[in-house]
Amino acid sequence: MKRYALLKTLVPVMRDSLVVCNIGIPSQELFAIEDRDNHFYMLGSMGLCTSIALGLSLNTTKNVIALEGDGSMLMNLSTLATIGNRGPNNLFAVIIDNGSYGSTGDQASYTSAATSLAGIARAAGCKHVIECNGEAAAEHLEGALNEGQSTLIIAKVESGNEPVPVVPLHPVILRERFRICVSH
Amino acid sequence: MNAPFSRQIIDTLKDKQVTFFTSVPCKLLANMITLLEQDTAVSYHPATREDEGLGMCAGASLAGKTTCILMQDSGLGTIINALAALVQFYQLPIVMLMSYRGSPGEPVPAQAPMGMLTPELLKLMQIPMLHCHEAKDLNEIASYVDFARVKQGPVVILLDFHLMSGDQ
Repeated sequence: MKRYALLKTLVPVMRDSLVVCNIGIPSQELFAIEDRDNHFYMLGSMGLCTSIALGLSLNTTKNVIALEGDGSMLMNLSTLATIGNRGPNNLFAVIIDNGSYGSTGDQASYTSAATSLAGIARAAGCKHVIECNGEAAAEHLEGALNEGQSTLIIAKVESGNEPVPVVPLHPVILRERFRICVSH
Repeated sequence: MNAPFSRQIIDTLKDKQVTFFTSVPCKLLANMITLLEQDTAVSYHPATREDEGLGMCAGASLAGKTTCILMQDSGLGTIINALAALVQFYQLPIVMLMSYRGSPGEPVPAQAPMGMLTPELLKLMQIPMLHCHEAKDLNEIASYVDFARVKQGPVVILLDFHLMSGDQ
């Protein structure tokens, strides 16, 4: 299973949540699968997906899901410490770990070798961390959402991208339609 | 702790409905951080890096909050991309309360290089800056919070070393 197939399984589970999606091909693939107002596509600022989701989750009672990647998580590991100490129960993250930087040509990331994001997250204070194959991620996410238990799911998938176009929406339009979702 | 300037700054921001705060610490901001830690009327969560803090502010902004990050001016070097490609790109109002470590009075030599660059970098990025040299300048903070909302972007309140080091 690759990222695109995993995202297809996640979309039906995320329809009632606020979704912050990682920069680059993950956002493009999510957009191609199903564009929804509750999707916030990051168009820049690699590394800040889970931090944006954290700030949002601290200011809403709705469930917030970060669709994070292994490369971008490695870029901002210290936010796991903030989540481990301050993360609220309505914050969820699916870290799609394909062991590579997919948007830039599938260069290997360190999670493909010695580094365990699950180990880092636990050591940072995150209590509920699940590492699983991509096929099981949607079921784990649905379970966590139903229980109202903040959870980080590290979903292992194969490297590879779907040929999809760039998200064609203006950032202010994305912001406004997402804000309306947050407030309703 | 009397810290009248620190109290005035936080009170002004609260009066202007700034409700989400984050920070990366600084000795000159320590009194404000203490005030925020003790304040149950605001949401305050420390960040580990300035770019993480901006991400948190961006998320809070998507929930309709006006937000504030407290940081040293040296942290500006860490967040150019987050400012340009997130805060300015999505047009999010964020108040950046910045201690001007690299200004006269500063005893640490390594603070000087970013101090020299800070005003020019902000100008280059077209980020409005209120440079507070003395107490009366703090009275302008409220209008800069308004301007962040009007302009839908970041504003910087730059606090001179001499001004804040005397605020005990």
